[in-house]
Amino acid sequence: MRSFSLLTALVLGLSAFVRAKSSQGDDVLVILDPKLNRDDYSLFFGGLEKDGYSLTFRAPKDVKPKIIKDDVPSFSHVILFTPETKGYASDITPQSLIHLLSLSTNLLITSSPKQTLLTALSSEFSLIPAPPSSPLLSHFPARSDPPTLLPIPVPDPIDPKSEYADHPLAIPPICSPHTKAVWYEGTAWALGNNPLLFPILRAPKESFVSDASGDEGAEGVVDAAEKGGEGLWAGSSLAVAAGFQTREGARVVWVGGVEVFSDRLAAKEIAPGVPSGNTRFTRDIAAWAFQESLVLRISHISHHLASSPPLVGSNTTNLPTQYTTNDKLTYTAHISIYNPSSSTWTPHVSLPSPQMAFTMLDPHILTTLSHSPSHAGTYTTTFRAPDRHGVFKFVLDYRRKGWTWLKSEEKVAVVPPRHDGYPRFLSAAWPYYAGAVSTSVGFVLFVVVWLSGEGRETRKKAE
Amino acid sequence: MSTAYALPKDLSRATVVNTASLIRIVALSLISGAAIASRLFAVINFESIIHEFDPWFNYRATRVLASKGFYEFWNWFDPTAWYPLGRVVGGTIYPGLMATSGVIYNVLHYFNLPVDIRNICVLLAPGFSALTAWATYMFTKELKDESAGLLAAAFIGIVPGYISRSVAGSYDNEAIAIFLLMFTFYLWIKALKAGSAFFGTCAAVFYFYMVAAWGGYAFITNMIPVHAMVLILMGRYSSRLYVAYSSWYAVGTLSSMQVPFVGFQPVRTSEHMAALGVFGLLQIIAFAQLVRSHVSSKQFNNLLFYGVIVLGVGGVGAVVGLTYAGWIAPWTGRFYSLWDTGYAKKYIPIIASVSEHQPTAWPSFFMDLQLLVFLFPAGVVLCFKELRDEHVFVIIYAIVASYFAGVMVRLMLTLTPCVCVASAIALSTLMDTYIDPVQPEADEDETAQSDAGDSVSGSSATGSISGAAPKKAKKLAAAAVAAPPSANPLAELVGAATGGPRMKKGVWGFDTRFTVLLHTFGMLAFFVMHCTYVTSSAYSSPSVVLASTSPDGSPHIIDDFREAYYWLRQNTKEDAVVMSWWDYGYQIAGMADRPTLVDNNTWNNTHIATVGKAMSSSEEVAYPILRAHDVDYVLVIFGGLLGYSGDDINKFLWMIRIAQGVWPEEVQEANYFTPGGEYRVDERASKIMKESLMYKMSYYRFTELYGANPAQDRVRQQTIPKPSPTLDYLDEAFTSENWIVRIYQVKKEDHLGRDIKSANAFEGGKKRKRGRPAVGRRRAMQ
Amino acid sequence: MKSISSLLLLPLVLAAKPPQERLAELAQKNNGVIPLDATTFELITGPKRTWSASIQLTAMDPRRRCGPCKEFDPSWKTVAEAWSTVPAKHRDTHFFGTLDFDNAQAVFQKLNLATAPVVMIYPATEGPRQLASGKTGPSKYEFSQGFDPLPLAQHLNSHTPVPIPFKAPIDWNKYATIAFGFLAFATFLRYAQPVLQSRFTWGIITVISIVVFTSGFMFNRIRNTPWAGPKGASVAAGFQTQYAQETQMVGMIYGTLAASFAMLIFVTPYTKSSSRQRVQVYIWNAVIIIVYSILVSLFKIKNKAYPFKLFL
Repeated sequence: MRSFSLLTALVLGLSAFVRAKSSQGDDVLVILDPKLNRDDYSLFFGGLEKDGYSLTFRAPKDVKPKIIKDDVPSFSHVILFTPETKGYASDITPQSLIHLLSLSTNLLITSSPKQTLLTALSSEFSLIPAPPSSPLLSHFPARSDPPTLLPIPVPDPIDPKSEYADHPLAIPPICSPHTKAVWYEGTAWALGNNPLLFPILRAPKESFVSDASGDEGAEGVVDAAEKGGEGLWAGSSLAVAAGFQTREGARVVWVGGVEVFSDRLAAKEIAPGVPSGNTRFTRDIAAWAFQESLVLRISHISHHLASSPPLVGSNTTNLPTQYTTNDKLTYTAHISIYNPSSSTWTPHVSLPSPQMAFTMLDPHILTTLSHSPSHAGTYTTTFRAPDRHGVFKFVLDYRRKGWTWLKSEEKVAVVPPRHDGYPRFLSAAWPYYAGAVSTSVGFVLFVVVWLSGEGRETRKKAE
Repeated sequence: MSTAYALPKDLSRATVVNTASLIRIVALSLISGAAIASRLFAVINFESIIHEFDPWFNYRATRVLASKGFYEFWNWFDPTAWYPLGRVVGGTIYPGLMATSGVIYNVLHYFNLPVDIRNICVLLAPGFSALTAWATYMFTKELKDESAGLLAAAFIGIVPGYISRSVAGSYDNEAIAIFLLMFTFYLWIKALKAGSAFFGTCAAVFYFYMVAAWGGYAFITNMIPVHAMVLILMGRYSSRLYVAYSSWYAVGTLSSMQVPFVGFQPVRTSEHMAALGVFGLLQIIAFAQLVRSHVSSKQFNNLLFYGVIVLGVGGVGAVVGLTYAGWIAPWTGRFYSLWDTGYAKKYIPIIASVSEHQPTAWPSFFMDLQLLVFLFPAGVVLCFKELRDEHVFVIIYAIVASYFAGVMVRLMLTLTPCVCVASAIALSTLMDTYIDPVQPEADEDETAQSDAGDSVSGSSATGSISGAAPKKAKKLAAAAVAAPPSANPLAELVGAATGGPRMKKGVWGFDTRFTVLLHTFGMLAFFVMHCTYVTSSAYSSPSVVLASTSPDGSPHIIDDFREAYYWLRQNTKEDAVVMSWWDYGYQIAGMADRPTLVDNNTWNNTHIATVGKAMSSSEEVAYPILRAHDVDYVLVIFGGLLGYSGDDINKFLWMIRIAQGVWPEEVQEANYFTPGGEYRVDERASKIMKESLMYKMSYYRFTELYGANPAQDRVRQQTIPKPSPTLDYLDEAFTSENWIVRIYQVKKEDHLGRDIKSANAFEGGKKRKRGRPAVGRRRAMQ
Repeated sequence: MKSISSLLLLPLVLAAKPPQERLAELAQKNNGVIPLDATTFELITGPKRTWSASIQLTAMDPRRRCGPCKEFDPSWKTVAEAWSTVPAKHRDTHFFGTLDFDNAQAVFQKLNLATAPVVMIYPATEGPRQLASGKTGPSKYEFSQGFDPLPLAQHLNSHTPVPIPFKAPIDWNKYATIAFGFLAFATFLRYAQPVLQSRFTWGIITVISIVVFTSGFMFNRIRNTPWAGPKGASVAAGFQTQYAQETQMVGMIYGTLAASFAMLIFVTPYTKSSSRQRVQVYIWNAVIIIVYSILVSLFKIKNKAYPFKLFL
């Protein structure tokens, strides 16, 4: 009896301890190449499972479990540990993977120098794959390891409030600060200019991509670059890990080599006595990919006449559908951020300069929403509607690399004043009023005089 | 005296009079019945449905009026029209029509007669046509007599020229406007005859109703002043004219300014200046007359006379000056294009593009008026014969209206009533002459002294002729008498026309009477058959539903439009924006209840040109435009499969022209023709033509229908080249049974941020060639 | 004369000199319009031109029978002349040229032009006046607004460095004719007053104009339809079209019918002897029936589906 209760307590305790961390769901499909041994990645997988993800493993050739069943994704996240796999089952094709994204499933994809189906897929994300079978290699720092296995320092993320946060080259705060350098082995990409794509980890300045696993390759690379035939496959313009967020907010992480996740490199020391940052790094990128970190959402939008604030607890269903020109309007957005540690949505108080546009064809008004300290997480602004009737949209479109895109459009009609909505008496019109009054008075007088005159004449006649 | 046929002797005068009036009433009611009945072909052949395009908007507006009440209607802002600009409906329409049916609706419901608003709208036009017949009767009665009135009523009741705009279901402003037109004119004539301020005011009230009902009120606004002006020039100024005109103008103008859409136009635009000017002139003349009546000095009168002239000229000069100063808006394009007929084509392609703004070829005149078209001049001659003020009115009306009708097909409508009146006068005079049983005695000498005018007409003519006319008349008459009458019939005509010495008139024998009347009745019968045929065949189809005959001859209804519109209504989001050419805007709004970019109220040329540009340019160019306007669906009309000639490919050139007017650099009409300058859709069509969105949407998957056989476009009579055009940025969403309506859905941006073309290529399984890092990028990274 | 001489001078002029100055000189010689031949055409439309040029390709030779060319040429000259009045620093950056078909047929073939006149506008390819769009190819001027100089000038303004100082010349003789006509009318009024005051005159005018309008006269005016169709077809097939000829036929018919009705109304009843009257009645009835059936059959030609017919 007691044992049973203990058991239950234990189970409860476990379940309490084991909780999903993702904001989207915790069932993950791992497509693992048979050549790879699952235990070599126990740290990574274990870490995920510890955090409450339920991993399902499947070989590329297996037919079950299907990734999409009846156009419904069977898993909320998919990991592809198939860097060198050539053949897949029929349900895994570049098309199906991209379709998976449109169904807002997240992907963590590992590639390799070898030319595979994934190489073709990567170019759809405007990643530019390096020439086939030519890994990233570097001779600095001097070390005993082969040049293809190189340490890459993880940059500290820039504080999102700093002015550099929006710089196109800024790396979003995906990796937690002070992460040690990671051991890396694999290929690298050049990044096309797609605003949805950003580097998570850049190749070191000294590194370059070459098919020859020796020094002699280096000049070849430079020559190639100078000839302009191939671009320059070297330097920190290349990325070894890149993040991609679709318009619908599904996330993809591309990593140039699967070994980063391995226990071997995780255990390998980066400097005497200092373990490498691999464990932390891999967990961080997984966290981003699986919608744990940098996840925002708009809880709800409200707008109303500045003069008449709505009742407390009014929700978006009963918003006014039309305003009059030149009204003073107040627009409020409630934005919250996902907190993975407690897996709850909490008001987001530090959103840097979100903007709202009041748009008809072109933005007529573009203002910055200010955070109101009284209610945490509410960003609001008050403005005068333009003197122009039409169907306007409140557009809140907040895009920062790495962060969830906040997008909301609220249609509202701005109408001219009602026929009795105009000022009734104009000071400028007094002459006309006077004219009207005087004319009518004059007419009355005239009639009176006329009639009386008639009367007198008739009386005269009578006499 | 002898009579051609025996007359019943034992009838008291009272009996005759009563019978006559009874017959008149019966006749009038029968005429109304005929007028209504002949307009019901549309309902019988098809169903009780609103026709064509504009009526759909009127119908929609009326529904709003009936459901929300007049004030809401007045303030109605329609956010779904002209998306995203919206339309202030209350301020941009003539509410008379909607108000009328709204009133009828409320009255019926007050008496607990739950009549559907749609049926009221459908049957409004026939109902008012009956009223028009009555108004015409009254009008003609003022000109001649009841018999002519009855004839005119019968004519206007069934003449196709009027039916074309007033069949059941064509719920348009003209439906009530013609009644108002005729009745206002009747009241004006009445006021002028009696010089009564009361009738003048009544005319003003109905003028106000007309202003509230139809943009064509400008016709009245100018007809009446012109009439007054001509009367003045003929030296027929009288206090009657002064009273009638002043009361009409003052009340009419003030009340017309109460219509929001008209506002201050009556004092600010050139169309209304004639009325104002004549009003001023009348005041001056009246003053002059007053002074003249008191002062008797000859020179002073001359002085006054010249003073009047100077003042008049000065007034005109002032108007012109104000126009140049910008205080008075010059003529609007639509109005101006009536005079300078080349104007619209050059500067306002939208107006020129409307089919009913084309000039009128003679067949349509004959089609619409048949025998009236040549009775009409004879009637005008009769008006000249006895030239009373009201006849002057008819004459002016005749000239002006026939000119306008020649310039624009749709203005045939304003000509028709005048034609009916005039020809009714002619025909009734003819019949009076030949039914009249009295026979003259044949000997010559009696004619000399018997001037006692027992003639039907003419005696009243001398009354109102003033100025120099009689002298001339005498001259001509003298000539007429001098020449042996029979030798020179023209001289006799002159004598008759100028109301010279009345010689005894009459017809001998029964056979003559019989022949004339027989063949008159024959022509009238033919007229009736013609009207019935034209009405049933030409003017009764609601272009929403098309009729055709299937091979076995049985009638077959083609209902693609409603099919497509209901598809939109039931399968798309409430606020899904539909883009189509402006002709279909009202129908989409009315039947599909979806926002549209442009519609038949063509107030914003640029917006229409935007649609034209999207339609006429390639997908890549059009896509940003569509996205910018939140367009979800694009709707095109395609007749190629069925041979429906009124489709978008045939209207395409106008889209191009209108777009070219705004973007002359980007859209050029010449590029859409073959090098030989032909407008083709087959393989010889120009590249730009083939890549235009309109072409692609029309012929998308068209050739697949025909399999191996050549795909024949039944309208253009050309074969469409294989393979059919492909669409990258649009998806075919719906195509109606006979392919008349095709609806396409606009794709959203690709969720991976690729351009849609390459995304499609990827879906199609194509490999893209490997990219390479931009070398320049290196510097950026440092 | 002048142009010929300049053509003779051409070779001398084409001696060493930067092309722009040469063109400027030529332009000045022939008040604004450079008479071009194949070589000068190559010069003016050379690939490295810092100037823009608008060139009229025409065929003025009477043998070519190019009516439009003759119609357009004066407006071209006036606009070019107007341009030659602007200060030199602007003037010499845009040139007007005229290339006659008979001087350079090769050019016409190269541009594969089958029609004349054509106005080609070559933008500058180099230098400050290069187009922002980087377009260097020539553009064509559409005669959408007729051959008048004003629209031409307005169109060219977008290609010239400064707007062309073109003002529509005051058409003196037009005003003169108007004034004269007015005076004539006034004097006419003075003397023909009795005629003008007789309702008879006005009646004739009115009736005629009505008949003319109702027989589709305005259609011919607006669409300026041909007098008769190809190979003398007098009646245009189709309900919405007509030839000028038809208007007259129909007008006649209407006139006759109206007249005969007028006769029946005005003349016949006033006839003195019953026999003559009877004859008249029958004549007019016959006339009406015959002419009317002609009209109906004519209408049947226009509207095939029309089911009715009278005796014809």
